[in-house]
Amino acid sequence: MEQAQELSLLKDFERDSRWFHENINKLREKGFTGKFVAIKNSKPLTSGENFEIVIKNIEKKGKNPSFVFIEFVHPEGYTLIL
Amino acid sequence: MRRIPLQVYDFVGSLRAMAHFWLKIEELSKSIPIRAIVDTGSPITLIGPLDTGRMRISTLSLRNLEGRNKPVNIGGGEMTTRILEGTKFKFGDGFEVDMPVDFPIDGARNPLQPSLLGVDFLLKTNATLVFNPDKKDAYLEIED
Repeated sequence: MEQAQELSLLKDFERDSRWFHENINKLREKGFTGKFVAIKNSKPLTSGENFEIVIKNIEKKGKNPSFVFIEFVHPEGYTLIL
Repeated sequence: MRRIPLQVYDFVGSLRAMAHFWLKIEELSKSIPIRAIVDTGSPITLIGPLDTGRMRISTLSLRNLEGRNKPVNIGGGEMTTRILEGTKFKFGDGFEVDMPVDFPIDGARNPLQPSLLGVDFLLKTNATLVFNPDKKDAYLEIED
């Protein structure tokens, strides 16, 4: 992969990561709690309770899951101690 | 002195400093963008199951790769990780570092465990973490 393409994909990934974290409450309001959500171009691409199915749905939409931001929507108030 | 900007987001109950970078695994010829929490409480850098899942790498494949196993305890759960050599981190500003990375393969694997950039990364790069959650400002300072 060329350096320019890498940089572009990383910027897209960062943008979608930012969108996820800044819109987590909106995602909860829209019923995504307890689901894996794939974000592409600052909007949900697909979602589901089963991670493998989410990956397959991304592929069905012609995207490479490696380059798509995916995160689980935890319930509000849930705290993760690392 | 190089400065790598980090992002500060509210994630699962707390403000966290997060890094975004490319991870390249030579043995698998795989390359993937990663979002990792910078965690000074973790001695190791760890790639979580969601990221290995995006790469389509199974636990079985990880077990068969060149590397060594190590027991670790994260969040109270014991697990075994596979430490892979030949992995490279590449940041948006072009900064690159070669460093072994841990992948969970056995034990109390939390399927939602986020990827972590641990103290081993700070040591390897001689980096200082600056994190001001009040101002939502964070970055790594790395001596050239």
